[in-house]
Amino acid sequence: MPSRLKRIGCGLLFSLASSMAWAEVVVVVSAHNPLATLTRSELADIYLGRTSRFPNGQPATPLDQGESSPIYATFYREYLGQTPTQVKMHWSRLIFTGRGQPPRSLAGDRAMVDFVAAHADAIGYLDDVHIDERLRVVTID
Amino acid sequence: MTEPTPHPPAADASRRHWLHQLVEPGVLFPGLALLTLTAIWLVTLDLVEREYTAAEQRAAALTADLAETYEAQVVRALREIDTTLKLVRYSLDERPPQRVLDELGQQGMLPPTLLFEVRISDAAGNVIASTHPSSAPQSVITAAEGEGMQVALPRQQASGADSQLAFSRRLTTADEPAPAVVSVLVSAAHFVSGYELDTLGVQGVLAVAGEEDTFLVRRTGDTIHTGEPVDYANLVNGSGALGDPAQLRVNEWDDVHRYLVARALFEFPVAIVVGLSRSEQMAAASALQRDYYWRALLVTLAFLVVLTMLGRLSWKLRRAQASVLEERLDHARRAEYLAFHDNLTELPNRAYFSRLLTHGMQHARRYDKHLALLFLDLDRFKAINDSLGHDAGDELLQEVSLRLGRAVRESDTVARLGGDEFVVLLPEIHDQEQVHQVANKILAAISAPFTLAGQEFRITVSIGIALYPADGEDEQTLMKHADVAMYHAKEEGKNNAQFYSEQLKSDSLERLALESSLRKALERREFRLYYQSKLDMATGRVIGMEALLRWQHPELGLILPKQFIPLAEENGLIIPIGRWVIHTACRQNIAWQQAGFPALSMAVNLSARQFLDDGLPGDIKSALQATGMPPQLLEVEITESMMMVDMPRAVSVLQELRTIGVRIAIDDFGTGYSSLSKLQALPLDTIKIDGSFIHDLLDNAVDRSLTEAIIDLGKRLGLTVVAEGVESAEQIAYLRRHACDQVQGFYMHEPQPADEAAISLQRRIDNVFPC
Repeated sequence: MPSRLKRIGCGLLFSLASSMAWAEVVVVVSAHNPLATLTRSELADIYLGRTSRFPNGQPATPLDQGESSPIYATFYREYLGQTPTQVKMHWSRLIFTGRGQPPRSLAGDRAMVDFVAAHADAIGYLDDVHIDERLRVVTID
Repeated sequence: MTEPTPHPPAADASRRHWLHQLVEPGVLFPGLALLTLTAIWLVTLDLVEREYTAAEQRAAALTADLAETYEAQVVRALREIDTTLKLVRYSLDERPPQRVLDELGQQGMLPPTLLFEVRISDAAGNVIASTHPSSAPQSVITAAEGEGMQVALPRQQASGADSQLAFSRRLTTADEPAPAVVSVLVSAAHFVSGYELDTLGVQGVLAVAGEEDTFLVRRTGDTIHTGEPVDYANLVNGSGALGDPAQLRVNEWDDVHRYLVARALFEFPVAIVVGLSRSEQMAAASALQRDYYWRALLVTLAFLVVLTMLGRLSWKLRRAQASVLEERLDHARRAEYLAFHDNLTELPNRAYFSRLLTHGMQHARRYDKHLALLFLDLDRFKAINDSLGHDAGDELLQEVSLRLGRAVRESDTVARLGGDEFVVLLPEIHDQEQVHQVANKILAAISAPFTLAGQEFRITVSIGIALYPADGEDEQTLMKHADVAMYHAKEEGKNNAQFYSEQLKSDSLERLALESSLRKALERREFRLYYQSKLDMATGRVIGMEALLRWQHPELGLILPKQFIPLAEENGLIIPIGRWVIHTACRQNIAWQQAGFPALSMAVNLSARQFLDDGLPGDIKSALQATGMPPQLLEVEITESMMMVDMPRAVSVLQELRTIGVRIAIDDFGTGYSSLSKLQALPLDTIKIDGSFIHDLLDNAVDRSLTEAIIDLGKRLGLTVVAEGVESAEQIAYLRRHACDQVQGFYMHEPQPADEAAISLQRRIDNVFPC
């Protein structure tokens, strides 16, 4: 019996892991935005307030998900290699010294889809299940 | 009357001396080095001081700059928060508060939710609306009392970094009992997020202090504290005003020494605090200071090393110079000593003695005293020097000088004039007897036996004495007169002392003339040989000749040998003169033979010195060879006394002469003290009975018996016996009776020059001897 129980436990863990792997965070821009690729450092520069323009010179408006949402943490961990605390400290310093404002925060994937689709200069991130034809997925390499 | 002098010369000289000492290397180098080192250290200390002061000023100024910036940042942050509070208060209307907040948020009118939470609480402190609705209800924010923005630390976390600050304003008017409140919550760390490690360092401080004696937040390095107690009034006291330099103080909260600016804000009830750690800020200056000190120390050491080396070099140089100087001085002293002392005997030499004598005479003149000068000359010294060698001669002179030194008093002076001449100066005498005693003491001291080259010797000295002032008032005269007296002593038989007298002076003048002309006599051919025949008693025929030396002096006339031979013996001229005699006699003999006379024997007299001269056999041989004279015709005559001086040597000389083949006769036999038995040991051919015996032969029985004994002895030894000085027929008759072999004398033949002798000879051959 203990062996059967163990087998069940392992199965549960496996299914959880696969469902999490499924929820993949992608970076998107409006379909009107010609931007196709960004390097990780270009993306970090935009999201950490070091630049307000895309590499092609067009203005860029980065957008955040809610700070408490899992996708927020995933995005910063996977693409910028930073923890939420580090990001918060970063912006705290910039705001206090008057050198910038953090990206605007949108509540949820749907709001993100709508906003990015409506603004050519916007760049955001979301769970890839919400992608539609108005958005372009930016390849990050 | 003395003239006034502006500077005493002594002071001037001492100042010059002082200056002179300054440029001495031993003073100059250390002095310069000391000055240089002092300068180096003064400059180093000054530089360090300046650097340090500059660093302090920089740190203070930097703190003030940072404080200004920080103040501006804090004020801006607080204003933004206050603006938000006022905006929310203004925007609130009949709508639900949450909706108002949402709308404001969507329009971007609220600060970023990432950091800031805006919250509305009711009068009871319950949160009725928030930009962070999901966040758990936090501690109650009670309405602040004042009208303005209130600041509180409502929730303090363990880490400090997570603690939040709440800024709030009342929503309702003051008269309502429990007003609602709008607040902005932000992490306390936000206010110290501008902390730069690059500028503030690990030990710097950035803080916001509240009026309630607490640090709302304080950051040092990466550590953030909240809610610490602090003496607010003390903190802001003193360093508040804008533009004031930072104060250097030890912070009571962590005991760090800092440049600190703490300034209360004008519009808000807080104070900002900025501090830079003194040790961190001064680290560079301290490093520089250490660097400078090291450099100065190295330079000092290098200097000292160089100085030490220079010092050593200088010292060596001085020592070398000193030793060279010392050597020169020694040399000079030695040279002076040598110039005034005889290096054989260490006695004063002629030059020094001359000074001493002059000085002594001056002294005697001044104090009316008498002094005596003793002139000493060793007797027979030349003979000893010639026979024993110069080393023995030198040894003898040294011993003589020691004995002289012992024989006189300490105050007397003994000097060596050269050769075997010494002088003694007696500086204070009262009568001649006193001088006599000294002279006798010297005679006794010298005549004691010497041991030279392993042989015992006796030597004597002749002393001439001159007195000051009686015998001469100047040095030259006194010396000359002492010399004259010394010659007189020699003439008086040597080994005695003679005082100078005027009579001696004239004698010595004659003698001086004689000596100088004797030296020239040989080359001027003033010597002559006279010849006296010897007759055979049996046949009455002339069988030989004796060559007799005469000096034909151009002014004094004919001089007999006894008048000049002692002089020639003394000055050594006897050797060349004797050589001439032998040579001339041999030549004459051959000449007569060639003239047709029968072969006659030829006798020559040898003097004492000549007899002992090493060159004698050689001289005889060369004379024989040069003239072709058969050796057996030559007869050398020596006296008894000559043999007695050194019997073994005399025997060896005689044997050598015998080897050559010449005949040997003893002259003046009977006058000496030689024992008859010794005659047997000598290689003799002839004995000649002294004329004095023959003279008294007929009147004196003693002489008669002696003569008879000598003839008898000669016969027994197989020697030819010759009687000298025969003056009468009676004497001849007596001698014939007693079987004397040959006779010689005025009765038959007086000494004649060669040509006259030849005539006499011819006559004698023609008519037979009358005896």
